[in-house]
Amino acid sequence: MVSLRTKGSFLKLYSWLPILILYISVLNEFDFNYLNLEYFSFNFPFILIFFFTLKDFKHFDYILVFIAGLFNDTVVGLPLGISSLSYILICTATAYLRNITIRPNPVKDWFYFLFIISLINSLNYTILTLFFSFDLILMSYLVNTFFTFSFYIIFVSLFKYYLKGLND
Amino acid sequence: MASSRDDFIIAIRSAFLKKSTQQKFSLLTLVFFSLFIIILSSLDFKVIRYSKAVINELVYRSSFIVSVPENFIKDSFIQVKDYTNFFNKYKKNISELESLKSNYVSNEITEYENRELKELINDYVSSSNKILAKIIVDHDSPFLKSIIINKGSKDNIKIGTNIYDQSYLVGRVIELNYKTSRVLLLSDLNSNVPVTIAPQNIQAIVTGSGVDSGKIKYIKSGLSGQLIDDSIVYTSGTGAIFKSGVPIGKLKFFEENSTNEYKVEFYSDFSQLKYVFAEIITQTSILPTTQESNENSVEKNNPLDAKLKILEDELNIIEESNKKFQKENENLKSEINNLNYKVLNLNNKISSQNKTIDQFNLDTDELKFLRLNLTYGHKCRKSLFNNKGFIVGSAGYKDCVLRKGKIDG
Repeated sequence: MVSLRTKGSFLKLYSWLPILILYISVLNEFDFNYLNLEYFSFNFPFILIFFFTLKDFKHFDYILVFIAGLFNDTVVGLPLGISSLSYILICTATAYLRNITIRPNPVKDWFYFLFIISLINSLNYTILTLFFSFDLILMSYLVNTFFTFSFYIIFVSLFKYYLKGLND
Repeated sequence: MASSRDDFIIAIRSAFLKKSTQQKFSLLTLVFFSLFIIILSSLDFKVIRYSKAVINELVYRSSFIVSVPENFIKDSFIQVKDYTNFFNKYKKNISELESLKSNYVSNEITEYENRELKELINDYVSSSNKILAKIIVDHDSPFLKSIIINKGSKDNIKIGTNIYDQSYLVGRVIELNYKTSRVLLLSDLNSNVPVTIAPQNIQAIVTGSGVDSGKIKYIKSGLSGQLIDDSIVYTSGTGAIFKSGVPIGKLKFFEENSTNEYKVEFYSDFSQLKYVFAEIITQTSILPTTQESNENSVEKNNPLDAKLKILEDELNIIEESNKKFQKENENLKSEINNLNYKVLNLNNKISSQNKTIDQFNLDTDELKFLRLNLTYGHKCRKSLFNNKGFIVGSAGYKDCVLRKGKIDG
């Protein structure tokens, strides 16, 4: 009885893991600054949100994603709502892709991801520079987009293992 | 054609409006909600400010807790890196310490003088108190360079409070909460600091480059040619945003697109900060003494006269002390002359005594020879019966007499 209950709570925790990782990543901001790599950065929440909303993962609630965006803005110091809008737009893009796709193809998803993150980063850059008068380095955005796109395929293979483990 | 457009519209509409069983809100609602928040956050209402401060407090604390494992890895990495450079750094530090020790004394004097002059100009004493603050979040994003410290309005921190690492400027507070605040680092693109470049004494503005250095902005045309490597950059205090005379970094020359460029290498390494100092400035007016207050009552109407009077008094004091010093100086000079004369006399006396001693030694040797000559002279003198002897007066004869008549050494 005890072991069943333990197994049940572990399963519950395991099924909530993606949203937990999302919150840890927005609060922690994996940055690797101490490696002193110039411009190097990637947006892990983008990859996570894109993958799990594309798979229509049942524990990936949009409102939780929205709140994670607010947390990210607070930690990074951006005006409130910017990251939330970006995350929700990713969710919209994946919902649209789900609706129009009959046979999913990982490579097509990958390039669709590139298109979406480029669009969202451009939107971010425009809002921040035009409406909030922020001085930003365009190169940082480009490098960030490139690394996010490159790491997508690696993280996707890890997430697939996770989903496989959950289904088993 | 029309059907594909319909499909697209249906897919879009479905994506925005359709809620699956788990979702409580449609995406369109959330998009509008985000836009609403963005607009609200750009407005400066009191309610928004307070709610933002509450969210900030909660998120910063959570972020600090969540960051513990990453910070541990980061610290370990830095420690390993430090150990490898430990000896070289130690040697460099020793030589730096020696030169700093010598500069310290003169700096203290300058600081004291500076403070006195400022008091004279402002009529108030600005006493600053540096409080130690811990950095609780330092996730500088690739786009914004800022840190969160654990001191806020509760600790008298204000928007614009200068933040230091030891005595080097790090940045200033741009967002204030009750127990936390956000510091914009000098390396951020949005940071602008009015500076003076020494020793050329050139005024400029340093802005962050978005990486770990700064760059020179708004320098008067023609003056950039005077800049040299390793010039010191410190705050000029123009605009009263930053306190004047605070060191920032050194100028470094580099070439970009075949043009000579200068970057500012900050003294402080912003990626290694753990604790910083926040400078709380309080201004207290200089209260006149009872005696002075009577005199000042007449001059109260004209503060310029009062300042002039203070300056005149200062001048008088300085002149009086100057006279004292001159008099003392003359006394000392005459004393030195007397002493020099005494030294000369004593030297003469010593040399004459030395001569006497030398003469005495010579006479003693001669007497000894004459005494021995009387006794042993016949043994050393060359004669018909003494072929081995020496001619009287020769060096051999003298030696023989001193050896008490022994001819073969």
